[in-house]
Parts: sequence; C-alpha cells; structure tokens
Amino acid sequence: MLLFGDAGQERLKKAHIFIAGAGGLGSPIALYLAVAGIGTLTVVDNDVVDQSNLNRQILHYDRDIGRKKTASAEEKLMAANPDITVKSIDATIDASNAGTLIRNADGIVDAMDNYPTRYLLNDAAIEKNIPLFHGGIRGFYGQATTIIPHKTACLRCIFPHAPPQEVFPVVGVTPGFIGMVQATEVLKYLLGSGELLTNRLFIWDGMQAHAEEIVLERNPHCAACGDTTIKKRKKK
Amino acid sequence: MTVKVRFFARFRELFGTDIVTDAAPGTSFIDLIKKIAEKNREGHDAIFDTNGAFREFVILMKNGRRIDCADAGKTLINDGDEIAVFPPVAGG
Repeated sequence: MLLFGDAGQERLKKAHIFIAGAGGLGSPIALYLAVAGIGTLTVVDNDVVDQSNLNRQILHYDRDIGRKKTASAEEKLMAANPDITVKSIDATIDASNAGTLIRNADGIVDAMDNYPTRYLLNDAAIEKNIPLFHGGIRGFYGQATTIIPHKTACLRCIFPHAPPQEVFPVVGVTPGFIGMVQATEVLKYLLGSGELLTNRLFIWDGMQAHAEEIVLERNPHCAACGDTTIKKRKKK
Repeated sequence: MTVKVRFFARFRELFGTDIVTDAAPGTSFIDLIKKIAEKNREGHDAIFDTNGAFREFVILMKNGRRIDCADAGKTLINDGDEIAVFPPVAGG
C-alpha cells in the first residue's frame, strides 16, 4: 500500500490486535482493521445477534439473528480479508480470564458497553504494558482516547468512577465515527507514525457536528496505574 | 462577572449546549452549577447526589484543567472562566 510502504504493511501483517466486543464499536473497528491487513485479530464477545443490534452492529446481518456474534463476526471478517487470521472467542471477559484472553496482543481495543469490563481491560493493559484504545458512545455523543500504560493517563486516571448503568438509544453513525478514531489510533500506533490521542479525551457531539478535546494528565494516586498501586501489586 | 458553562452528553440534553451566566465574585464551582441546576430537578439529580455533592462519576473542568469533585466547593470562579461538566459515556 502506497500510504504505509511495504515495511508498514509488513508491520500490520505481523501485528495482533485484541478487540473486546463485537457490537457497535467492535464491528466497524474489526472490519477496518481486517481490510487494513492486521495479521491477527482476536474478537471476544459473549452475546447473540438480536434484531435491535442491526442499526449499528454492521458485522451482523438480518440472517444472523440468534447466532453468536463471534461466529457472525469471524465469517464476515474472513470474507473481507481471507489473508488474515481471525480468532473469535465466545466468552465473557472477567477478572479471571482477561489476561489469558488478551495473551501477548500488541494492542487492546475497548469496544465494550460498560465500565466494569473497561476497568478490567485497563488493568490488563497496565499489567502487560499493552496500549489500550478507548471509545465510548451514547446517542449522538462519543469519546475516545489512547492509553500507553505507565506513560499516559489511564482509563482510571480519566474516569475514576463508573457512571451508572443505563439503557440508551444509539444510532449507528456514532459508533462508526468513534470506532474509526480508535482504528486510526491502532494503525498509527503500529506504524509508529503521527501523534497519538494520548493524554487527550476526544469528544464528539454529532448533533452539533462539533468535536473538541480535553487535556488529561496522569493521576499519581490513580487506583490502577498510580505508583503506590503498582508497588502494592508487585508485592502480592 | 460572566462565566461560560458547557455541558456534555446527557447533561447537555438536560441543560442545553452553552450557558453564559453571571456569577458574583467569590462564587465557588459547585455553587455556580447548583444555581444553574436549581430550576431543573431532573438535571440537578443527574449531577448531584442526595447530599448535594457532585456525583462521583461527574467530570469537572475549569479552563481546560480538571477539578476534583472534592475540591469543587473551594474552587472559586473568575470572570471569563470556561467551565465544563460532563459524564463519561458508556455505550459501545
């Protein structure tokens, strides 16, 4: 590919990206990373396709209703790019399996729909020293940031407390938009080019067609990546 | 003095996009937001807990810098300040 050169494309081919979730964010992210030629994609989800998912979860079609999202995702990704390896794992990410599922991936994509699981991904990213590409959406609003463990603000530094769980309407264009920000970050990170979205929270308001960013910094007392926390963890 | 307050996501739906408001000298961050929220019960309850403190997940910014919820009572507002109040969005 002209944009990356042979060396860049080779880097993507050798890379392994872990995508947590095959829903609204996970669908466009996985699809674009597959066609960009990321050599290995691991996609984890525990859900089955429901009709209500189809307005945004573009890896799943009407005929997939009732099918496991991982099976549906793997089929579409392999059809889009048969030259890559897709590992789909039907599992619920929890504290006991997060590290095993992520293995030695080069990056973790947060395409989850809740903060408790996001915090688990954040912990695993810190422990394994793997970057975490965060995205979140609600209606026409979205946010994204990139976390390089031990160097930049982590998810807990930015959001020390989870917002309450709620059910909210989502339109597909928002995860499409935020997912593309995350996928762009993955490519830049793997290629070692550009300026990553680190220590910055990108905020998108689709209704106003307005994007802005908030400057962030590491919290030295962070419950996940603070110096004292890391020391405590090492002692255990 | 004049202060600009910006809400995001659900808070924006409850309060509107940008609010320019007058504040008396010596007004604290929390008092400013309480004044804006006092006539909007749903909005108030989304931001403040039953003790009148900011809900712990709420993110507060003043002129692009993060303000800890616990410091919102002692953080004073100055003329021309830009305040941002927002919740993390959770969906995927």
